[in-house]
Amino acid sequence: MKHLFSGLIVLLWGSLFYSCSPRTTNTDTGTVRIHWVRDPENLDPLVVDNSSAYEVANLTNCSLLCGDDSTQEFIPWLAESFPAVEQHGDTLLVSYRLRPEAAWDNGTPILARDVAFTLKVMNCPGLPIEMDQAMFGFVRDIRLHPTDSRQFTLVCLGVSPDHIRTSGDYSILPEYLLDPKGELRTVPLPRMARAAATPVVQAFVKRYQALQLAKHPERLPGCGPYRVSSWQNGRFLVLARKSKWWADALPAPPRQLQAFPTRLIYQIIPDATTATLALRRGELDVYPMMPAGEFARLQKSAAAQQSLTFSSTDSYDCLAVNFNVRQAVLRDALTRQALSYLFDAPALNRATQQGTARLSAGLISPRIRQYYYDSLPLPQFDSRRAAALLREAGWQQQKAGGWLRSTRHNSRETLQVRLHYRAGEPAFETIGLQFRAAAATLGISVELYPTEQSLLTRQVRAGATDMTLRTLTGNPFSYDFTPLLHSRGIGASNTSGFSNTLSDQLIEQIATTEDPARKRKLLRKFQRFLQQERPFTVLYFLPYRIAAAKRLGKLPVTGIRPGYAAARIRPVSTR
Amino acid sequence: MIRRALRQGLRGFLLTWLTLSTLFLATRAATDKATLIQSTLEGNARLSGLPEQLALTQQLLHRYNLDRPLFYLSWQPAAGWQWHGSHNQYHQWLLQLAQGSLGYSYQQDAPVIHLLGRALRYTLPLTMLAAGLSLLLAIQLALWVSCRPTARSLMLAVLHALQSIPLVLLTVCLLLLLANPDVVAWFPAFGLGDAETEMNWLQQPGYLLYHLTLPVLSLVLVSLPALTIQLDGALRQELSQKYIVTARAKGASRSRAVRQHALRNALLPSITLLTELLPSLVAGSVVVEVLFALPGMGRLLAEAAATQDYPVLVGAAGLTALVRLLAQALADMLYQMADPRIRLSQ
Repeated sequence: MKHLFSGLIVLLWGSLFYSCSPRTTNTDTGTVRIHWVRDPENLDPLVVDNSSAYEVANLTNCSLLCGDDSTQEFIPWLAESFPAVEQHGDTLLVSYRLRPEAAWDNGTPILARDVAFTLKVMNCPGLPIEMDQAMFGFVRDIRLHPTDSRQFTLVCLGVSPDHIRTSGDYSILPEYLLDPKGELRTVPLPRMARAAATPVVQAFVKRYQALQLAKHPERLPGCGPYRVSSWQNGRFLVLARKSKWWADALPAPPRQLQAFPTRLIYQIIPDATTATLALRRGELDVYPMMPAGEFARLQKSAAAQQSLTFSSTDSYDCLAVNFNVRQAVLRDALTRQALSYLFDAPALNRATQQGTARLSAGLISPRIRQYYYDSLPLPQFDSRRAAALLREAGWQQQKAGGWLRSTRHNSRETLQVRLHYRAGEPAFETIGLQFRAAAATLGISVELYPTEQSLLTRQVRAGATDMTLRTLTGNPFSYDFTPLLHSRGIGASNTSGFSNTLSDQLIEQIATTEDPARKRKLLRKFQRFLQQERPFTVLYFLPYRIAAAKRLGKLPVTGIRPGYAAARIRPVSTR
Repeated sequence: MIRRALRQGLRGFLLTWLTLSTLFLATRAATDKATLIQSTLEGNARLSGLPEQLALTQQLLHRYNLDRPLFYLSWQPAAGWQWHGSHNQYHQWLLQLAQGSLGYSYQQDAPVIHLLGRALRYTLPLTMLAAGLSLLLAIQLALWVSCRPTARSLMLAVLHALQSIPLVLLTVCLLLLLANPDVVAWFPAFGLGDAETEMNWLQQPGYLLYHLTLPVLSLVLVSLPALTIQLDGALRQELSQKYIVTARAKGASRSRAVRQHALRNALLPSITLLTELLPSLVAGSVVVEVLFALPGMGRLLAEAAATQDYPVLVGAAGLTALVRLLAQALADMLYQMADPRIRLSQ
């Protein structure tokens, strides 16, 4: 027994030394290792509900259109060109034609019937289609062209310009794999929602569920340049470049149809310190969304400078203070304006973002030059102005400290506010402390409430907060502020509770206007209005910071999540 | 004997049912259902901007069966007690449980049992290796200091100092000292190796051990002081007993008296400590698993709690509670085996 045990120990030691010796890896120069904080968790194309899953979906599948940061517009992807649009009453007819080169992995061309099939799957009762219904439910029907198998028209309910872009923003699924006999062709799209009991739909649901696509995305290869070659939940996901992808045949593929890395390895590392170490050790090539502190520290390190490149780009995500206008002390715009002057945005930018964030006058990012109202003043710290505005709002500073004012019912109210924010977020803590200190100099009582995320969501929904720090995610394509500030959004995403007839009208006009000149005018009016009313105060737009290995050359960075175009990363040695 | 085993089995079953039911009811009653869906939607940039969120929330609540009443009975201030029959969340969960299912994860759309099994594949090698090493080292250290009284106070001071360091600090220090290219990069910074490495069967155990070195070391350094200090105290007490004096008088060396006579008796109180370790073997360590990017039970539990993934939360916490119950039964059995004079009161 003793000998056996000793033998085992010797074997283990031998194995340990052997394994520490240089190993055989099939890593080639075309491989790019990218850091992810979170696992995609669910890769069912119908349930793309986190940013990692969305990234995989965009590399393994193609949609008709895709968002492009450089033009700040949607551009054709599977579609040959931007769709032609006709308006008939409250219905939009959006006509597409697919690229003639587009084909599935088996060589079958991607046709209009694949788009019809995809829309039917997104309307198929029994499948997890709730989110697709919420996003694409406005597409009511599809009309296939009688002679051209690549041409079709989508019938969309509602005349919002956003519908035109969104009508092409979902992955197209292969009919030949999911419904090889074309059984769903017998059920028209408008009837899908009511066809739960039909044998054809039931059989399809069974087939779809049997594939378990949530955990086995490799069973449904899409028409994108990559396929999932291995995935260990919580550890890594590997995408391999298809040796024969249809867009390779194009003589000069446009940006959205370029895919250079032969292999994309996504390593899931939740902790920032560990991920930074892995990057320094060469176990990672790209570290996107890097925290400001780590990024600045690495930029100053001579050793890191030799092996890494650093990129930073302005995003469309902003950090804002949300005022709950339903609270008595915050009901008037002057008080909200006064409190906004107590946030020292330039200093906070330096303290929390190393000065790399971009101050903004409002909800539109300064990157969107066409629509940003640059004549409006940027947020600034001014306690005198704050005190003056408070007096204008009817508040009286007391000698013993504090501010009081009379209400309509002849009672007195005290100016004291609570500031809620997500716990464990260093930037939010810094902002809270700065605001409290600035308010204290004027004798305003501020209580800070770092709160756990789900509890915070509940309190904000219930209107139980005064002021909340939050990150608003944006994009350069859509200008529909209905969820955020329209009276229809109250109870859901309109957490400030702010609404009035003028703002509702403005929001509706902006959402339905396609003409850029008119949109610009309306958006400027809206920004001026928001600066007066202050349901939000935007402190700054956040930058996306990316550190990457030098061997990757110049990284294709974008202001849209995840902050880089993985398929267009081109390692220097492969050029 | 059979009756006793049956009674214990029945008691275990009742305790298990009570534990899991309490966990299920407590987690669901404490959280606002609509907030759960809202949090999910807020994580999705494409959905958070939709005006149709209220309708979507209702549809998702229906998908997860959260639109049903929680229990058979409910109390409404206006209507008083209301009976909901079997159309409730608890009844449905109980039926699933009877069929051996812990339900499906909201986030991952996979059976909870599969997720727990997968997480345990990462957690058990880590925690068992750490527990085994801690135990071996604790025994060796306690024996070593009991034979060298002069070194004892210094060793105890070091152990007490080590015990005062939080796990997170210790782990970060190890990472920054031993996996940092600016200091020494002897060990990997994360995970169990990359996706690309090809190796043969002989390399595999060593490769895993190499990657687990820092995580295991963190756990060993954290659990070692408590075990050693306790065992040292017990050994000190045993060494003052008359049977040790007799052994020494018969010519046994101090070392022999400690190893052959005192150790077995001194190990008795350690049984409680060891069985206490069992639940943490299964529950894993959030800190170590997050820092070293290991997708084990600790990380699964922490992520389920953060995203309010109730089925996973109930499954993982229930499993840990079950192991605790088993550990207590095991401790009772080991006590009787170690010292036949011990009898448990009925």
